[in-house]
Amino acid sequence: MEMVQLGGKQVEIDEDGFIQDPDVWDEAVAKDLAKTEGVDELTETHWKLVNYLRDYYLEYNMAPMIRKLCKQTELTLKEVYELFPSGPAKGACKVAGLPKPTGCV
Amino acid sequence: MDLITVTREEGLRFSVRVRDHVMTTDMSVAEGGKDGGPSPVEYLGVASGACLATMVQAYCDARGYTDGDVSVSLTLELVENPNRVGGIVLDVELPKDVPEGDREKLKRMALRMPVPATLRGEPRVDIEMF
Repeated sequence: MEMVQLGGKQVEIDEDGFIQDPDVWDEAVAKDLAKTEGVDELTETHWKLVNYLRDYYLEYNMAPMIRKLCKQTELTLKEVYELFPSGPAKGACKVAGLPKPTGCV
Repeated sequence: MDLITVTREEGLRFSVRVRDHVMTTDMSVAEGGKDGGPSPVEYLGVASGACLATMVQAYCDARGYTDGDVSVSLTLELVENPNRVGGIVLDVELPKDVPEGDREKLKRMALRMPVPATLRGEPRVDIEMF
């Protein structure tokens, strides 16, 4: 674990860069997390994906299965990887401030 | 079925030989390898995607659907305790002239193709150590 500067505040991350406290997440944190994933600008489509993940997590306390994510956001698997090259788990979930997924995406 | 052999090159990189074809497998740097090739688990995804692409393309060719080729994008859902693949998510792009009725039929057929059917059938894995 280490403390890093994200979105103008000190945030604790794990060895893979996932934030440890989902409550510290905000859009500024997301933008900085995106940069660590090589995504310099979050477009409307990025936000659709990130917000879906975030809302799902807040409701169910887990990440959705990938197929559900694709269907709900109306994105193909290829499009998800174009948005987040490291994938829905390592990329999108990280930017959405979710803990490192163990079972789903 | 021909014999498949797996022999060490160096570190966690292995050479896989199938008849006269040679592939490489390695682990990522994070997992102690040098990322000299796909990981063994990734080859499971390779097998699934290639199986689906081959069978679906053959079906389309046989029925004269020629407006584009079949392509497959896929990813693996990993789960823990024990570490394994919990799911394989595949998107199959079909030639544009495949009618809607055939798309549904192909989806049903896809689950009965050799690799998906094998995975769904929990094949016996028989290991001896020498």
